[in-house]
Amino acid sequence: MNLSIPKNTLFGLLGPNGAGKTTTIKLLSTLLLPDEGTAYVNGFDVAKQANEVRSSIGVVTGGERGLYWRLTGRENLLFFARLYGVREDKAKPRIDELLKLVELEDRANDNVEKYSRGMKQRLHLIRGLIHDPPTLLLDEPTLGLDPNSAVVVREFIKEKLQKEQGKTILLTTHYMEEADQLCDQIAVIDHGKIISKGTPAELKAGVQKIDVLRINATSVPESLVSDVKLIEGVQEVRTSVIDAVAGLTEILVHTRSAEETLPHLTETMVKAGARVRLIEQSKPSLEDVFISLTGRRLRD
Amino acid sequence: MSYRTSVLATIIWPLPLLALNVYQYLGLASGQQVGQVLNAKYGIASFSGMIILGTIVYLLYNRMLWGTGASLQEERFNGTIESLFLTPANRMTVLLASGFSSLLEGAWWIVGVFLLSWVIFGVQPAIADWGAVIIALISTMIALIAVGVFFASFFVLTRAADQLATSLQAPIRYASGVAFPVAALPAVFQLFAYILPVTYGINALRSTVVQEGTLISLVGTLAPLYLFTAILIVAGHFMLKRVEAQAKRNGSLYKI
Repeated sequence: MNLSIPKNTLFGLLGPNGAGKTTTIKLLSTLLLPDEGTAYVNGFDVAKQANEVRSSIGVVTGGERGLYWRLTGRENLLFFARLYGVREDKAKPRIDELLKLVELEDRANDNVEKYSRGMKQRLHLIRGLIHDPPTLLLDEPTLGLDPNSAVVVREFIKEKLQKEQGKTILLTTHYMEEADQLCDQIAVIDHGKIISKGTPAELKAGVQKIDVLRINATSVPESLVSDVKLIEGVQEVRTSVIDAVAGLTEILVHTRSAEETLPHLTETMVKAGARVRLIEQSKPSLEDVFISLTGRRLRD
Repeated sequence: MSYRTSVLATIIWPLPLLALNVYQYLGLASGQQVGQVLNAKYGIASFSGMIILGTIVYLLYNRMLWGTGASLQEERFNGTIESLFLTPANRMTVLLASGFSSLLEGAWWIVGVFLLSWVIFGVQPAIADWGAVIIALISTMIALIAVGVFFASFFVLTRAADQLATSLQAPIRYASGVAFPVAALPAVFQLFAYILPVTYGINALRSTVVQEGTLISLVGTLAPLYLFTAILIVAGHFMLKRVEAQAKRNGSLYKI
């Protein structure tokens, strides 16, 4: 992996589960040592200057763990502030400010065990900010959050952290829309390797020559994928179940020309016994970028 | 409410163990007769004092072992060890802090249990030098912190350490002279006794609290206690470094 993240950038590392996103975060945050090569964070070597790296970064891993659930939110923050060497007279006003920023000030004195998932995630976020580091490593910061909470967290990251406070942020995610919405630059990672890098627009432009057809259908037989692949011009076919109860499946087709492919596609589907509910042509998304690079969907 | 209950339970639960140790003698003879035999053979005037101090130190040892000793393991299970290791805080400082907080809990606990024992079992303190008592107490507690620090990394490095520590509890309890003098043990067990910091802690407190010991008379007990403390702290430091190095190589520390 060769990666360079400029200051004040919100850089996304996009890939499926097991791609190596969390491992990358752990390497850069000194929790793991690289087998080969070097990594520098804010000019410090992660292997030889681990303490300097730790002091200059905030890491947000999220999840249900990583907080002391018998302490209050405020006590958790104070504890970690001390571990980061923030003096108590500076830590207390800083904690008040951060709690207000994420709208947790009313619940700051409740034990973390009483917090909802979204509240814990916001607490994780501000814990990473307690010592005001210039660089943040955010590992799937919206994983497991409900859509509303995810929106709140994303807005906070983009507007407050990057735009207002000018932080340099490395964010890992397997949510396409998150990477597309938030990131200035994205590296697509799979099996521990970076397979493409660029801005979201650049990555999508790379697949502009592909037309994308999305079809929703029921009674889709297993053989349909191989049948559709035989149609001239079709490059990739992927299916995913949208509604198992209703038997609704989404079929994603990458083709050279939607105009030429569509008549053959509908004929093939009807012959196979599938019942088409919806057909639409869309512009390539980051998911399409991923499929064109790896041959599979992000969720596979 | 849970903290109040915990505080109450912490003081009360050792009492049955104390009672067991005291009444195992009283089942055989009267307190006076037992005292006379112990005094004649081993120079111990207060047999209840001997047992209570021995039991208190042993229970403190257990507290440190499963408190500070298990602290890293507990951080692993709670998922907070990554968060700790992500900070620039010195790892030994974190462990020592855990030990000192257990010490603070233990200090008032010792006083509380001792006072209760004094009332229930009639311990007669015989103190010639309060300074010696304080030094004996502090030295013992620091030695037990060192035990906790050593075991903290040991528990994480070798996943079988829990079973090892559990299986050693009974031998340590008997060999360190918790309920009877070490001198009463066969010679080979006495050898084992004198490599245990707990033995020296018990001796130090007994001699100063119920045997009118002074600072001078403590030297022979404190010197090995300090030596063991130093060895355990240094060993604990190197083992902690090894724990972190191993975690950085294979990431195993961060997974349950």
